[in-house]
Formats: sequence, C-alpha cells, structure tokens
Amino acid sequence: MPAPIYLDHAATTPVRPQVLEAMLPFFGPRFGNPSSTHRWGREARTALDAARERVAKCLGANADEVCFTSGGTEGDNLAILGGWRVLKAKGRTAIVTSPIEHKAVLGSVHQASIEGAKERLLSVDETGTVSMQSANEHVRDDTAICSVMWVNNEIGTIQPIDELASLAKSRGAIFHTDAVQAFGKVEVDARNTPFDFLAISGHKIGAPKGIGAMYIRRGTPLEPLFFGGTQDRGRRPGTENVAYAVALATAAELTLAEHAGESARLSALRNRLEAAILAKLPDAVIHGRGAKRAPHVLSISVPGTDSESMLMALDLQGIACSGGSACQSGSVGASHVLLALGLRADVASAAVRMSLGSLTTDACIDRVAEVFPALALKARGLASVS
Amino acid sequence: MSGGVDSSVAAAMLVRDGYDVVGATMKLHSDGADVPDKPCCSLDSVNDARRIAERIGIPHYVLNLEKSFARDVLDDFVAEYARGRTPIPCVRCNTFTKFHDLMRKADAIDAQFVATGHYARVVNGELHRGTDDAKDQTYFLWGIERAAIARMLLPVGEMTKPETRALARELGLNLVAEKPESQEICFVPDGNYARILEEHLGADAPSLSPGPIVLGDGTVVGEHAGFARYTIGQRRGVPGGYSEPMFVIAIRAEDRAVVIGPREELLGRGVVARGVNWLVDPAPVVGDRVGVRVRHRAPIVPAEIVRIEGDEIELALDESVRAIAPGQSIVLYDGARVLGGGFIEAARAARAMLPILAAS
Repeated sequence: MPAPIYLDHAATTPVRPQVLEAMLPFFGPRFGNPSSTHRWGREARTALDAARERVAKCLGANADEVCFTSGGTEGDNLAILGGWRVLKAKGRTAIVTSPIEHKAVLGSVHQASIEGAKERLLSVDETGTVSMQSANEHVRDDTAICSVMWVNNEIGTIQPIDELASLAKSRGAIFHTDAVQAFGKVEVDARNTPFDFLAISGHKIGAPKGIGAMYIRRGTPLEPLFFGGTQDRGRRPGTENVAYAVALATAAELTLAEHAGESARLSALRNRLEAAILAKLPDAVIHGRGAKRAPHVLSISVPGTDSESMLMALDLQGIACSGGSACQSGSVGASHVLLALGLRADVASAAVRMSLGSLTTDACIDRVAEVFPALALKARGLASVS
Repeated sequence: MSGGVDSSVAAAMLVRDGYDVVGATMKLHSDGADVPDKPCCSLDSVNDARRIAERIGIPHYVLNLEKSFARDVLDDFVAEYARGRTPIPCVRCNTFTKFHDLMRKADAIDAQFVATGHYARVVNGELHRGTDDAKDQTYFLWGIERAAIARMLLPVGEMTKPETRALARELGLNLVAEKPESQEICFVPDGNYARILEEHLGADAPSLSPGPIVLGDGTVVGEHAGFARYTIGQRRGVPGGYSEPMFVIAIRAEDRAVVIGPREELLGRGVVARGVNWLVDPAPVVGDRVGVRVRHRAPIVPAEIVRIEGDEIELALDESVRAIAPGQSIVLYDGARVLGGGFIEAARAARAMLPILAAS
C-alpha cells in the first residue's frame, strides 16, 4: 500500500519537533513546581511566566489575560459556566449560542440551562454562517453570554466574530468565542476584535494534547470551575503544567510565523482537491461552499453514500479522514452541525471531512483526488443495488 | 468483534491463517442518553475489541447499526411481549443485522466473507451445528438467507469453549481469555427486560398492567403485575399451595390472563411454526423425519413434518417436550445439518398425524 495519508488535522496534529525539544527540559532537570520559592521553583515560574507572555503576544493580549487550560473543552466550559454563574446573580440569565458549536460549548450551555439559564440558538444559513439579524434579535439585555465559534470545526466556515462581539458588547453581554480551529488560520487579535473570552487548544497547532489557553479580557467577571490554590490568579487552581505551557507558547509562535504562507498553500491544495472531486462527482455537496471558509477544511457529502462506509473504505486505502468531528466518527450518524444547515439527513450522514495541515503535500492531494471519487462511485453503485 | 473471547479468537485465527482481516464492532443500541447532544458512546466492550484488533494487527471500525437494529430487532422484541409471546431477538439480529446489514458493509469494502465467533460450522456450503454441543448456536442462525452461508466464516465452531479460551491465551489475547460469558440479551445486560418494555410501551401498557392468574378451567387464583413479565414454563411468581408445583402454561393477551397448570400441562407433542426459512436445497417435505429443538439448549427430539403450507409448518414430536413458547424458534436438524426453522406459533398437546394416516 502507498504511504498512508493523514487528512484529519482538524482532529489533531503531530507535535512539532521544535515544540518537543522546547518542553523536554521541563520533564528533566527543570522539573520544579512554579509555586515553590527555591531555585527549582523560581526557574519553573520564570519559564511559565515567559510562556504566558509569549502566548499573550500571539493573541494580542496582556499576560494577565491568559489562563492556561487543559484544552479547548475546558476553555469553553470555564468561559460559559464561569461567566454565566457571575452574571446570573445580576439578572442576566440568558445564553445565546449557535447550533453549529462544538459540543464543548453546547454541553456547557446545556449544563447552565440545568442550573437555570435560558438558552437561545441563533439561526444559521445554509452555508453554515450565523445570521447577524438573528443575533440582533436574540442578544438582549437579559443576555449573560453570547458564544459563537470563530471557525466551524466540521465545515470550516468563518463566523462574523467582529460584528457579533461588538453587538454583544453593545448589549452588555460577555462575548466568548471558541477559536480552536481559528487560531493560525484567521487573524486572532484581542486588540482588533472585541471578544471578552476566547479558547484555543494546543494539539491543533502542533503542541501536545492536554494544553490550551483561555483569553480573559481585563475586567470580565469569571468564576473558577475548580477550587484550591491561587495558581493563575485563582482562575485555574492546580499546579501548572510548565512543560506543556512552554510547548503551547512555542507552537503558537511557530504557527503564527508560518501563517501567511501556510494559509495560501493549504487553501490552494484544498481548492484543487475540491475541484478535482467535483469534476468527477458533479452532484457532490461541498458544505460551507459560498461562505467564507478557513483554508484547511473540506467537508463533502456524496449523495447515495454513507460516511461510515466511506471512512472505512478510505482508511483501508490508507487515507485518514473523519465524519463530523473526531469524537463522532464511528459511532453516530448525521452531525448536529450539518443538520443545523438544513441538510437532508441522508446527505448529512454522508459527510466526510478532510482537513489539511502540515502533513499534507501535493502528492497526498493527487492521490485523494483519485481515490475518493472512485470509492464514492463504487459505494453509490452498491447502494443502488441493495 | 464484540470484545468477547469468541469473536476475538475468531479474528486472531483468521489472521494466523493468512486472511486479510478487518475488525468491526456493531453498535446496536445505547443506554440512556438524556442529554440532547449526547456524548460519544464508548462502551468497554468496543474498547476491548479495538485493543484486540490492534494487538493482532488489523484495522477496526465501529459500525453504527442502531437505527436498523431498533427497527428490525428491538421493536419486534417489544411488540412480541406486548402480544403475550416470548421473543428471541438474537435470531432476528442474525437474520437482519449480522448476516444482512453487516454483509452490506462487507460489500462496501470488498470483503468476501463475514466471520463471527458463533459456535456453528459451515460444511459443504451448509450450516452445521458447532462441535461443542453445549455451546452450539445454530438455534439462533436458522433465519439467515441461504446465500449468506457461502460467505460465512465461523472459525471457533470446530472448538469447545475451553479450547477457545486456551487458544486465546496461546495467542496472547489475555485481555479477553478469561472474560465471563454473558447469558443475557445484549440490550438487557441486567436481565430486567421489563424495564425495556416499560421504556417503550409505558408502565401502564396492558401487557404490564395487572391481570388474572387462572387455572386451565378458568378459575381465578390470583393476580399478576403484567403478563409480559411471564414466560411459558416459568415457576417464579406463580401461586403455591397446590399438591404439585405449578407453572405458567399459557399467556392470553386478549384478557391479560396468565394460565397456570401442573407440569404435565406444560408438555407438548406437536408444534406449529410460521415464517419458515430453509437453509438447504431441496427443502424438506411433509413426511420427512427431522430432529427439532424448541428452545435454546433444549434437547433435540425426533419429529415428523406433518404439514407445510406456505411459510407455516407443523411437526409431530416423538416425545413430549416441555414449555413450547410462542415467539421462540424451532430449528430443524438432520444430524448436524441445520435444515431451517421458524417462529413458534402454537404448541399441540397431542401428537398430530400425517393427513393420510389421520384419514384412514
């Protein structure tokens, strides 16, 4: 079999060699606890503070606005539950979000609704973009938090975060954005976009799984999820993972340094793949087509196929893709994101997401452009006879 | 690959024998997910199957067949109990899910065979009982399409269960080698099937509501809490105080009655079944002598086919058989060969005769 092809960078990415190298000393000689007052502690604390500053710089933030987390899910939970629990005491009990959010957001909002939050979902058009008109109606003076993702993880659509954040601010609500798929793909800068909270994840950009960061704009109220020590200003008690914080800082810097070139490269590859597939399968549905899309995601449904069989057949050919998002693959049918776009269930449950990244080469795209349509045509042939 | 020892060993044997093997675990049902955006399902058994697949070096996929399983197996299971019958979901799962839906998934990846951990054998293109009589699972396989047999691989069918476990250890499958056997229906892991019925029918459904316990002559001797909680042959929950032990001998959905009687009233000398499916060609005919099994693990008794009309069959049994329950299956054998089977419609107390003998 030819070399396997990894087309699932939106699920996770390999740790960059420079990142691995940067964090290794903190598993060895520089093992100290950053809260200790002795030399080991000071050394670790210095590295942690430097990492925080470096991440802050990558986000256009001040160092005190950056809180390290275990990843995107924790950031979303902390933002939504931590913000809502403070504001509900002031009479703001509603949470506004979109139906195409990651489950980390939807799950947090669901938890808040169990605790008494009013949940309101924004409308999304058929290309997968949140409607500003709907936001204008739903974000009101009872709204504690409005949370909309920056780049959708399943179809790659870019949401109007600038407008949404400004709107939420004008209504006195906190604005949170899940930027897990956005960081490194679109410009994320706290000086230019008025978001209050923002969550990023390390393993999507070449850091290990288990580290992320949350941006907390100065003055934004937030209650912690954990209790204990005073680490991270009490916002996130628990001994900090210094090695991973260093890893995240290094990965974030490397990601931004290559942003322009890599975006152009991936977008050209993605467009080429999309065109090649459409040439052979003119009725294939490209999700998010016509909307602003991040360069690395291609989500496609070939009518008459199902994603489960396609993913299995692709994997057996050495091509790794996913269905909706990673944790749905293999166990669930149509994704909530695609259904929210108004797609028929059979089209939604045929979706295959290919996400490009550092491992994607011209040769990968050539091979997928050949194999994918062939498998889809075969699957469609089988479906019509059974 | 269920994550159990049989299918794990089956997969490992095929890898050892040089087949190009792809592991699959069917996800057939999920328990209580009341969150609208329900979290990923990660059953321990799926994880075990995946670990075994990694260990023996084959790819592994989880196939979501929940929708069709609910339609073809679960709904029928519930409907049968509601009608006062005792369903056997494993038969329909093999018929509709494993050897139909899963075959289509096999087609999708050009897999020639579907292999399972069933204790049964394919011999000369026909289905045979497994070598281990105590483990034989052909009772659950009679409903599959005959054409499917040519595509079945049943590697553990030649072994006894202890041999399978020994081979599991030999092949390094320690994760599953000593796994206890599950005797329960897969979607009723705690054996409390009434809970499933309550979920689907509502706790106040007729089949789950009180009704009379009666004797064969109609005398009411007590009250039960829902006839769907009873099975023919059951002794638990039956009033005592009689000179001999009493058993459930019939369930009548129309007046919600559970009929009880002594052991001899539980015995049948004939059985009528519907939905007959033949796994051999030519199919048996009236007058043929066969072996018949009316319940999983019940002894196979000699019998004669006395009537075949459309998909209905009637058999006269050479000896009395206990607790012939509508909804269960009959399976017909010629020695180890599986001829076919059907769903039990009724038991006959007396032995029927061939029409020609009855007329004379």
